[in-house]
Amino acid sequence: MESAKTEDEKLQMFFDGELAPEEAAAVRRDLEGSPQGAAQLREWERLREAMKSVSADWAGELDSDALFARIDADINAPAVPIERPAQEQPALRVVPGGRERRVWGGVATGFAAAAAIFLAVMAWPESHIDPAPTTRGSEVLEADFGSNTGTIFEVEGGAGESLAVVWIDDEEVGLP
Amino acid sequence: MSLIRHLLVIAVLFGASVSSGASVASRASAQGSSLARSDRAATTSSVPAEVLVVLAKEEPGKIDPQLEKLTALRRPPFNSFRSMKILSRPKLKLTPGKDALVSLPNGRRMKLTLLRVMPDGRYKVKAAINRPGKSDYLPLLQVVASAGDPFFVAGQTYQGGTLVVGVIVDPKKSAQ
Repeated sequence: MESAKTEDEKLQMFFDGELAPEEAAAVRRDLEGSPQGAAQLREWERLREAMKSVSADWAGELDSDALFARIDADINAPAVPIERPAQEQPALRVVPGGRERRVWGGVATGFAAAAAIFLAVMAWPESHIDPAPTTRGSEVLEADFGSNTGTIFEVEGGAGESLAVVWIDDEEVGLP
Repeated sequence: MSLIRHLLVIAVLFGASVSSGASVASRASAQGSSLARSDRAATTSSVPAEVLVVLAKEEPGKIDPQLEKLTALRRPPFNSFRSMKILSRPKLKLTPGKDALVSLPNGRRMKLTLLRVMPDGRYKVKAAINRPGKSDYLPLLQVVASAGDPFFVAGQTYQGGTLVVGVIVDPKKSAQ
């Protein structure tokens, strides 16, 4: 049995003081040539000290007498049956496999249809949308009368729109 | 269950593709909108237009019945004319960036160019009236006009009267 112990197990048992004196002496000799083993022992020792410290702190804050008195009282109290409120079982529905497929198929089809409608709305050409109301009438942006004199008028059209009139004086020209 | 999972995967993939597609479509639409706002001329083909060449005189006479709808010709500065006769009424197509020529009875030519379609739907048109190879009368005129609303260039003397040239850009009119 002992030969089956791994080095870690031996080290752990050595740390816990569970080895026979001759085994503990052998481990101690091994540790003299094993820095890793020695470091492992120091780490375990550090953890042990830390846990002892925390335990001591908790123990100082805990009123152990009161705690055990309450535990004893609860243990000795008569058992009271717990009455659970009647819970309404959720309605279960057996969906045959074929119907389940149809349901999910319908969901997928609906999703695809919604996506198609969304795409159709988003990609609808702008030309199908009613354009903004256009400004009526006409106006002159730029005029170069050359060597002539000219005047720009605004004339009211039949619908009240302003129409541009460019009037240029000139001498009558003959046919070329 | 495999069918259900299959349908769910299809639905999720389709939804993802639709979302990305809608995003692309939205961006494309936004770009198209931006393009349309900035310069629809690039995507506008040709727009029908009509040029009304009228000989107006102060002597009492007839007003061409076809001009009765143009109430602007009865208002200043045209109200001094007592007779108006339509000399020609050529219809043409204005193509963005391409000159369209209209011969006037006094030997001059009117050059019309559709520059662009404004964001409000009006047409920006460049006009010039000169003798061939010369720039002796109206080197440059830039006008914006809404569809169906004319602008006028008047003042050229011809046969004892005055030429009144009206230009109407109207997509509803068919050019000959």
